[in-house]
Amino acid sequence: MNLKNAPIKSVVLVVAVIALSLLYSLMTNGGNGALKNVKNVSADGSTTVSSTSNVSLVGSTDKPVSMSSATIAKKTDHPKFVGPLLYQNSGVRATYQQVQQGQTLFDESCSSCHGAYASGTDRAPNLVGLGPATIQFWVSTGRMPLSNPIIQPIRKPVKFTQAQILDIVSFVASQAPGGVLIPNIKGVSSATLAEGASLFDINCAGCHTITGAGDALASGAYAPSLHQATPEQVAEAIRTGPANMPRFNPGVLTNAQVNSLVKYVTQGIQHPDNAGGWNLGGVGPVAEGFIGLLIGVGLLVLAAFWVGDRK
Amino acid sequence: MAKLDVTKLRDQNPKGKKTVNDQIANTAEWFDDRLGLAKGTRIFFNKIFPDHWSFMLGEIALYSFVVLLVTGIFLTLYYVPSASLMIYHGSYAPLRGTVVSAAYNSTVNLSLHVRFGLLVRQMHHWAADIFLGAIAVHMCRVFFTGAFRKPRELNWIVGVTLLILGIVEGFLGYSLPDDLISGTGLRIMFSVTESIPIVGTHLAFWIFGGNYPGDGSIIPRMFIAHVLLIPALLAALIGVHLALLVKQKHTQFPGPGKTEKNVVGTPMWPGFMFKTQGFMFLVVGVIALLGAFAQINPIWQYGQYLPYKVSYAVQPDWYMGWLDGALRIMPSWEFQYHSFIIPNQFFPSVLLPGIAFNIFIIWPFIEAKIKKDKTEHHLLERPRDNPVRTAIGAGALTFFFMLFAASATDVLANYLTISLNIVLWFFRIATYIIPFIVAAIAYRVCIELQRAGDAAGKRKRFNVVWRSDTGEYFTEKSPARSDDVDYLDGEPEESLELTPEVSKMVNEKADLIASDRNGSQESTDSNPEDLQQISRD
Amino acid sequence: MSDSDNDLTSDNISGNSVSPVTIRNLNIEDDPRFELLAKNPKRTEILIAISFAIAAVLFVAMMVDYVKGANTQVEGGLMAAAFCLLGIGMVAWGKYLMPKGPFEESRHRTSSTDEDKKEFVDAFIGRGKIAVSRRSFLGKILGAAMGLFGLFLLGPTLRSLGPNPNNALNHTAWKKGSRVVTTDGKLVHVNDLDVGAFMTVFPEGVIKKSELEENQQDLYNSQTLLIRASVDNIVTEKGRETWGPQGYLAYSKVCTHAGCPISLYQQETQQLLCPCHQSLFNVLDGAMPIFGPAPRPLPQLPLAVDPQGYLIAQADYNEPIGPGYWGF
Repeated sequence: MNLKNAPIKSVVLVVAVIALSLLYSLMTNGGNGALKNVKNVSADGSTTVSSTSNVSLVGSTDKPVSMSSATIAKKTDHPKFVGPLLYQNSGVRATYQQVQQGQTLFDESCSSCHGAYASGTDRAPNLVGLGPATIQFWVSTGRMPLSNPIIQPIRKPVKFTQAQILDIVSFVASQAPGGVLIPNIKGVSSATLAEGASLFDINCAGCHTITGAGDALASGAYAPSLHQATPEQVAEAIRTGPANMPRFNPGVLTNAQVNSLVKYVTQGIQHPDNAGGWNLGGVGPVAEGFIGLLIGVGLLVLAAFWVGDRK
Repeated sequence: MAKLDVTKLRDQNPKGKKTVNDQIANTAEWFDDRLGLAKGTRIFFNKIFPDHWSFMLGEIALYSFVVLLVTGIFLTLYYVPSASLMIYHGSYAPLRGTVVSAAYNSTVNLSLHVRFGLLVRQMHHWAADIFLGAIAVHMCRVFFTGAFRKPRELNWIVGVTLLILGIVEGFLGYSLPDDLISGTGLRIMFSVTESIPIVGTHLAFWIFGGNYPGDGSIIPRMFIAHVLLIPALLAALIGVHLALLVKQKHTQFPGPGKTEKNVVGTPMWPGFMFKTQGFMFLVVGVIALLGAFAQINPIWQYGQYLPYKVSYAVQPDWYMGWLDGALRIMPSWEFQYHSFIIPNQFFPSVLLPGIAFNIFIIWPFIEAKIKKDKTEHHLLERPRDNPVRTAIGAGALTFFFMLFAASATDVLANYLTISLNIVLWFFRIATYIIPFIVAAIAYRVCIELQRAGDAAGKRKRFNVVWRSDTGEYFTEKSPARSDDVDYLDGEPEESLELTPEVSKMVNEKADLIASDRNGSQESTDSNPEDLQQISRD
Repeated sequence: MSDSDNDLTSDNISGNSVSPVTIRNLNIEDDPRFELLAKNPKRTEILIAISFAIAAVLFVAMMVDYVKGANTQVEGGLMAAAFCLLGIGMVAWGKYLMPKGPFEESRHRTSSTDEDKKEFVDAFIGRGKIAVSRRSFLGKILGAAMGLFGLFLLGPTLRSLGPNPNNALNHTAWKKGSRVVTTDGKLVHVNDLDVGAFMTVFPEGVIKKSELEENQQDLYNSQTLLIRASVDNIVTEKGRETWGPQGYLAYSKVCTHAGCPISLYQQETQQLLCPCHQSLFNVLDGAMPIFGPAPRPLPQLPLAVDPQGYLIAQADYNEPIGPGYWGF
């Protein structure tokens, strides 16, 4: 054995051990592979961060993690750390630092429901293996984190910066490979609007309505308005099918078609040509009927009130 | 034949110069020589129109019909009634290069290219909504005041027919652009037609030219019905409606000097003609206001109708909304015997309007039969005077409103963030319960108003302290204000026997008292001498 | 109508009876009802004149805007303002600068006098007796002839408008072995859809290279929802065991309630919702209606996978698609 290469070799060994144990823990515990700090999650949701390993996690399905933090610390800044892929059609991988920061954020904001390692609890689903697109969609639309689990979370102000969201995505993605990568929407500018409009009519208008205003669905679900969605979120939603939305995988819609849809949603839907004036919320004839009766007939009845005699 | 005496029309002009009035007189004479119009026109000029504001409601409908005709003629200059497919090459980017029908193409171009076109199209659509809204409000006035009673049953029937034709006309117009939302509505209409027992399926195939969506002939067929057939019927029936109104003269609310034997108000010429002309301008103004600033039916956003495309939140215009609501809240029943099916959609969309409109039409006869009333009525009833009718009317209105609201179950569920299922169940039950509650409340309110007597809606009468000759004080209600006269007997309500002069004095006194109360609260009987005099009378 | 039928009388409205005189004999200057409502007619007149003048200016502005491109809001706003001004001015003219009234018109009973009725009856029956009563069979034949013509008219005005239904409602464009294609005409491979995905599909041949050539009736009848569900959850009805290979379920997209295309697929709850009247169907259980007005499940298309792995139809739908209709 060449002593010259000993540090590298030992690191390779450590990485191999970590990878194996990760794989093992993934198979047995549903992805409780720890990279850094381990958090105690108690039943009431309060958390205590512990820097030691082999801590029994109270009140969650998480199991004790069999890895010393010291071992992990060694690989913190190691150049050969292979992070998860984040983007479709690009080799960009999450850095170790992103994963670390992501875990801190995840611990603070997500772990009380989804478990320390995103493997889910009885309060919230397993996130492992869903892929970066899903996580980024839910967090970047402000739907997550959520204080109370409800049927369908609504869009809220986003709690994190773009970079922080990517950190969380990196952390969750680092738990297991696979899932849907963040769609590449660079081709949107060259996509055709008309194709997007046509695809929208067939695939999207059925739930989101033709103006993208959104509407209520059965069983308490609803199709949200598309007016605030960013291009990336539109593509992510199409590909991952959040909540009740069906998934449009590449076999259903090609990348080019998704780009057309993104273009139509961010242009035709979000900046519609309201040549006729105020669009009345874009919900169609019911609103028009109310305006016609209340303002139209109403104003004219008031006029009649003046023209005629009130006695 | 004596020559028409037009000296009054002519200015007594010493200089002998021809004036405008001279020209009018000459023109009038020219026509009268040929048509003999003087007497008839004078009688028409003398026709009295009651002044009450509620008599203007029908005019809203009349003038929106005028707007509909004028804007509609403009639209026919640009609209192409054809379902033949073509490629869109206009300026609206999301449609460019897609396959559209000639009808849709021309409507988009009319909206986005033709100068003034979008305004006219939107005014046309708003005028339609207002036309039917005004008919509904006018019909409520006629119903709740009993204006449909003998001898006006025929005009009531003409009115209901106008309403039905208006709804059909509106639906046809709504369907003409061939956009995604109206196409879905047309499909529902096919299903509704199919559900009519015995003839339904054949009828639907014939009208559409084959199985849905037909061979494309439905668009030109709807077009000719929309621009010729039904407008002609509407115009003719509006003519009949007005002719009957002139022949039978107006009804009027009871009041001072108003009897079964007269009509009190403003004569046609000049007062009413000016007012009504001005009102027509106001109707045009309000419709233009909506047409300018409230976007209606932006079909370019909706896209071309294709049989497999659909949008959520599709509703018909409001006047069809109650039928859509009825379709939604219908339980999933269907009756089948061998291959003979009475489909689900038959009950809410064929049976319900069939029953409703038939009840509307025969209502005057039902009421006359129940009340055994064969006399003529020219004085209106206030709604409270006929609590049963008012209650029935209020209940029916509520029923239709609930159905209309039910056509927006999804929109309501979305805005109120309630489960769609709960909203639907609410309407399934409430549509049948709330009308009864409203009817009961309306009945109760009528009775209470009757009990409150004629004090309701009048100014408060004060207690006046009187002093007799012997110095004894007693209180008495002040007489009613001269303009707060009783509705029913046409005479001021008398608490004292007063001559008109004294009555005037007392009124002034009462006004003084009122103003004092509002002001300093002092000297309620400023001049006891007058009062003494009154009490002796 | 006699002269006095319609004449304005000067009956005092508030009760004091004066003998009626017609409006022609009335001295307008003396009658209080001919006073104007306006307290200051001059001012009212000026205000009306101003409103008319502004309206005129606004119409000119409309012309200018028209030449400049006719913005809908500008044109409409100007038009609304102009017409409201005209309306207000005109109403004010009629209301404040006209005799304030009230006037009255007398009303006579609607029905004719007995004498008139008698004369009518005499004329109608008396003269008609000769022609009508004694020859009533002529009238009947005439009526029958016209009735038959009316019956005939139903042919050209109704019957000839379109074909009879015949068998059209009982079959669609799907046939045994029809390959499943997307709206773009692309064949659907068994690997194309992930679990939880759906698409609208047609039988091959219905989708043409150019949309201009497509048969709209076939498009409508054969539109089908292709859904891929997790195999474990599907409840298979008897006789349909082979209809859904690898979790692929194909249902007619036409709602059985009023015929709207159903395209609301709730992936999580595995429900299909009709956008028109909110009928809800259970995807996993043969598209049984579970809520709303739809009375029947969506017909299911029996699918199979061909040797190349593409989806094909085993046969056409085995029941009529779409809403119920009167059978024949």
